Amino acid sequence: MGSADGGNGAAPLIVIRNVSRRYVRGVDDIHALENVSLSIPTGHFVAFMGPSGSGKSTLLNLVSGIDRPNDGEVLVAGQLLNDLTEDELARWRARHIGLIFQFFNLIPVLDARDNVALPLLLTHLNKAERLRRADTALRIVGLDNRADHYPRTLSGGEQQRVAIARAIVTDPDLIVADEPTGDLDARNAEAILGLLRQLKHDFGKTVVMVTHDPRALRFVDDAFHLDKGVLLEGEEAERAAAAIHLAAGGGTAAAAARLGR
Amino acid sequence: MRYLGLIWANLGRNKLRTALTGGAIMLAVVLVCLLLSMPAGLNAILDHVANNARISVHAKGGLVYQMPYSFTRKVRQVDGVAAAVAQTWFGGAFEEAGRVTFPNFAVEPEYVGAVYPDYPIAPEQLADFQRYRDGAIAGRQIMHKYGWKIGDRITLRSTAWPVNLDLRIVGEIANERAPMLWLTREYLDQALKAAGRPGLGTVGIIWVRATDANRVNSIMRQIDEMSRNSEYETACETEKSFLSNFFGSLQGFVTIILIVTGLVALCIVFIAANTASMGVRERAGELAVLKAIGFGRRVIFGTLLAEAMALSAVAGGAGVVVAMSLTGALRVFAGWNDSLGPLGSFIITAPVIVQGVFLSLFVGMLAGVVPSYGAARKPVVQTLHEVF
Repeated sequence: MGSADGGNGAAPLIVIRNVSRRYVRGVDDIHALENVSLSIPTGHFVAFMGPSGSGKSTLLNLVSGIDRPNDGEVLVAGQLLNDLTEDELARWRARHIGLIFQFFNLIPVLDARDNVALPLLLTHLNKAERLRRADTALRIVGLDNRADHYPRTLSGGEQQRVAIARAIVTDPDLIVADEPTGDLDARNAEAILGLLRQLKHDFGKTVVMVTHDPRALRFVDDAFHLDKGVLLEGEEAERAAAAIHLAAGGGTAAAAARLGR
Repeated sequence: MRYLGLIWANLGRNKLRTALTGGAIMLAVVLVCLLLSMPAGLNAILDHVANNARISVHAKGGLVYQMPYSFTRKVRQVDGVAAAVAQTWFGGAFEEAGRVTFPNFAVEPEYVGAVYPDYPIAPEQLADFQRYRDGAIAGRQIMHKYGWKIGDRITLRSTAWPVNLDLRIVGEIANERAPMLWLTREYLDQALKAAGRPGLGTVGIIWVRATDANRVNSIMRQIDEMSRNSEYETACETEKSFLSNFFGSLQGFVTIILIVTGLVALCIVFIAANTASMGVRERAGELAVLKAIGFGRRVIFGTLLAEAMALSAVAGGAGVVVAMSLTGALRVFAGWNDSLGPLGSFIITAPVIVQGVFLSLFVGMLAGVVPSYGAARKPVVQTLHEVF
């Protein structure tokens, strides 16, 4: 179960302090996050979980430097993200963040190798070195034999592996995944979750993932539960985790008891 | 350069659309290049047709006003004049055509050869023109058009004088530069008298050939000075200037064509801009991802704009090559076929090439800048919200 202070002795890679995020949508003032604080140690595999509209994607956007909070502080890899401009954030993301999306979002006119090498265009590496690193990343995700294939010729699971290779090719501090198994069947979903865990184990990467997938709990070190923009803690968080366990078919008598069933 | 692969790949995303947009830009550049070559081409045509030692003498008030025929003799006495010939509009309609389909003039056969030594007319034909009062010499184009041969007899019904003349074709101007017909002044004069008219005492234009092209200006000054304060003040000009003024309406035509071309180019900008906008809209998801993984606004803007400009540059380059090929082909055909002669004068010069390429880049920039800026300026979080 995730805790606001990180839960162990490793130095935190991510520190969120009293963060709030509000949106104005039409005449509505939407409170997507309310006074959230948490920290995530380096080398942990963490999930943000919760129902739709709970604020988990908003929190992921803040952690990855895609969005900025209205209040509070977001500190990632020693960098306070609050005050960075849009362009500074883009440069920071290119150096420190690897992003994985639900729908893979590969560029259809580029083959797998060029898709993976895309973030390296923002570096000073020459083409040969960019392609060499792309091949290495593809080897890590087990797709080195599909490097010349275009996305339309790859299965959903393979496309997500290419997307993961694209996320790790710059050797980022943090890998951020938004529903990475949301568009995959059960077998491919487990494989992708296993691959993300492998990145943590083999390369010491910190991985933060938003997911609805209860199977994810078997792979992550910590899970943070959110509801209506609030980070659940203590008994509330345990009840949320137990509900997910139960939904995943892994429910025990103890979990059912926690839910009062 | 490092983004070239990405730009190139994106251009190949929808090959048909890219080809059609590029084709539209290419055609616009071809059109503009050809039209831009027109002023120089017309000048070249005038150089080709006009002789720099020949002068036109006509009434200052315009071609509709006549000068006394006796003035021709005075002109011949001006220092530096090699020869002069009086030319009067006959306005004859060939009976089969029923209207004036080619220019025809009454001239003095004994002087015409000396004023037009550059016109290829066989000496024996010129001699026949002088010998036969009803003789006529026609340009090769007209001879071909109506299937006339030397010795044929034709009738021209004048629209300017109350006479019809039966003419005998005695000679041919053996090139395409003079699509006209000459008949003898004496024949017209006598026909008018036979019709109860006072005869041909006036002249419309006196064509003068100078002994030396360098003396043309001085001769023109002397002739105009001779007629000053008379009832028939003259206005001399070189043959090139005369033809240029005579075909002055062409300049207006060129202006209209240039305006139309500008509008066509503007339409192409709109078409290309629409295509670029569609491309950006279709790729909104990909652009959101690129932004998220760290592609900054400048890179997004730059690559999208470069894409539009690369397409325009390639299409523009192709347009210039096509325009050069077309004019080159015209030159070759003109060498084979005299009737195309003037068209061979249209040459795509270096300035026209530069203007064509510049136009294509300008089209690309105008077409690409708005959608590129629109795609680049939105914050990444807003783009992601809109797309996912």
